Amino acid sequence: MTILEAQKVTKRYQGLLAINDVSFSLERGEILGLIGPNGAGKTTLINLVSGTQPPTAGTIVFEGAPINGVPAYRRSHLGIGRTFQIMRPFPGLTVLDNVAVGALFGTAGGARNLAEAEEQAHRWLAFVGLDKRERQRADALGGPDRKRLELAKALALRPKLLLLDEVMAGLNHVEIEEVIAIIKKVRAEGISILVIEHVMKAIQSLSDRLIVLHHGEKLAEGKTEEVLTDTRVIEAYLGRRRS
Amino acid sequence: MKLGYQLAIAGVGVAALATLPSWGSAVLVQFGTSALILAVLAQSWNIIGGYTGYSSFGNSVFYGLGGYGVAIGMVQYQWPFAAGLALGIFLALAFAFLIGLPVLRLRGHYFAIATLGLAVVMTAIVSNLEIAGRNIGLIMPLVKGDTWFYEGSLALLAVTTLAVAWISRSRFGFGLIAIRENEGAASVMGVNTTLYKVLAFALCSVFTAIAGGIHAYWITFLDPESAFDIGLNVKMIIMAVFGGPGTVFGPILGAFVLSAISEVLASKLTSLASIFFGVVIVVAVIFMPRGFADLVRRFHQSGWRYFQENIRAHSV
Repeated sequence: MTILEAQKVTKRYQGLLAINDVSFSLERGEILGLIGPNGAGKTTLINLVSGTQPPTAGTIVFEGAPINGVPAYRRSHLGIGRTFQIMRPFPGLTVLDNVAVGALFGTAGGARNLAEAEEQAHRWLAFVGLDKRERQRADALGGPDRKRLELAKALALRPKLLLLDEVMAGLNHVEIEEVIAIIKKVRAEGISILVIEHVMKAIQSLSDRLIVLHHGEKLAEGKTEEVLTDTRVIEAYLGRRRS
Repeated sequence: MKLGYQLAIAGVGVAALATLPSWGSAVLVQFGTSALILAVLAQSWNIIGGYTGYSSFGNSVFYGLGGYGVAIGMVQYQWPFAAGLALGIFLALAFAFLIGLPVLRLRGHYFAIATLGLAVVMTAIVSNLEIAGRNIGLIMPLVKGDTWFYEGSLALLAVTTLAVAWISRSRFGFGLIAIRENEGAASVMGVNTTLYKVLAFALCSVFTAIAGGIHAYWITFLDPESAFDIGLNVKMIIMAVFGGPGTVFGPILGAFVLSAISEVLASKLTSLASIFFGVVIVVAVIFMPRGFADLVRRFHQSGWRYFQENIRAHSV
């Protein structure tokens, strides 16, 4: 069953065509990888799905209903959670309270009171392995921990669909393995995932299918191994082989 | 310390303050009344400025509308005070919703400047309204009884503070704080940012308008210049920031301490008072930029190093 569908979606900034007539769909319980060179329009596509920006043309369909006119905060109530590539913690709040906001305002109202929200937040922090630091202020965290915090905040919304924007950028090998394990646990919870990633190892071990964006257009779509061996995809990433 | 204990201590403080008119001099009661009204203004500003992170320079408009509601009701229609106050609250609420929707889309300096303009516009409008006494103003019936104004202001401050205490521990308040910390992130976390900002603005307008109404009736005279005084708006911001914006008791502390300092300076030095008052504020901002509440919370950890750390933080 399809949870998310983009139908001929276009996003234009004045002269620049950031997303050009892109269609794709995401099945329930699936992990769909979204790859492409820098500037290909990956983050823009996630912005269109999460509602941070409106599309110029085309339709976004979530659980069978078009959501083009639905504002971002209501999309998170519907069950769409996201992380930001440039992390956006609430810097002055504790790590626990950062996540509690998600528990309070998430799907269908979320937690009824603050105590319940903090308890849920604690569980999500344990889930991503950040519960030891929950009393610290968010701006005291280092890069890798901020990535975990982004993830915990999005999970506290109890989303049906999770949009992950480069959660592994800047992590070392050990940390990448840990985050891959966390994302697999998330999928085991029944959450569908759209993941933007540059780390190939992560893409290979996580994605069921891949779509490739290049200059705002869909270059390829299909099973992960097939897409990664597609010559057009290799050219887009590495350039044309000289013969 | 848990909020419950803090509120219990504050309750004892309110009870103690309530006895002041029975033993204090008339001058002290007067000083107390104006300090309490300023504390209400700082505390109300705290809702939109401290918790939501929108530095409003338009609160003096709410204050003025509260005052004019009372003045117009009592002078033009011979209403009782309460009915005039209801009119003032209604005017302030209507203004908060009508103006809040477009103006709260602006952020940072732009919001501050736009709200600053509102006070100027209101002065000009009211100066030309026959019903508001044009630029001559309105004179209300004189009432004897400073005690009533003092106790009324104290009760209003207690209610305003309870509202802020609720905000600090509620879902609504968490939404406001999330907006202050990162508005874009707040909206994808499910916070209806537009609604929450307007509600915060409206809540702050109610308390500010009541304070304006009480003050107008107390002074028995109101003209556009004093009703929509931007200086008063600056004062409430300084007091809230001095005490600690985004905390439950900081703005009250700021209002009391700064009122006392300015009163002492005014009686000892008269004309030089405002210069010294300025020096006090500059020194406070340098040594405790996050307000008095933060100093109280952190001083026992860092000791005198607290001030060094703050100075170092400025130079980064």
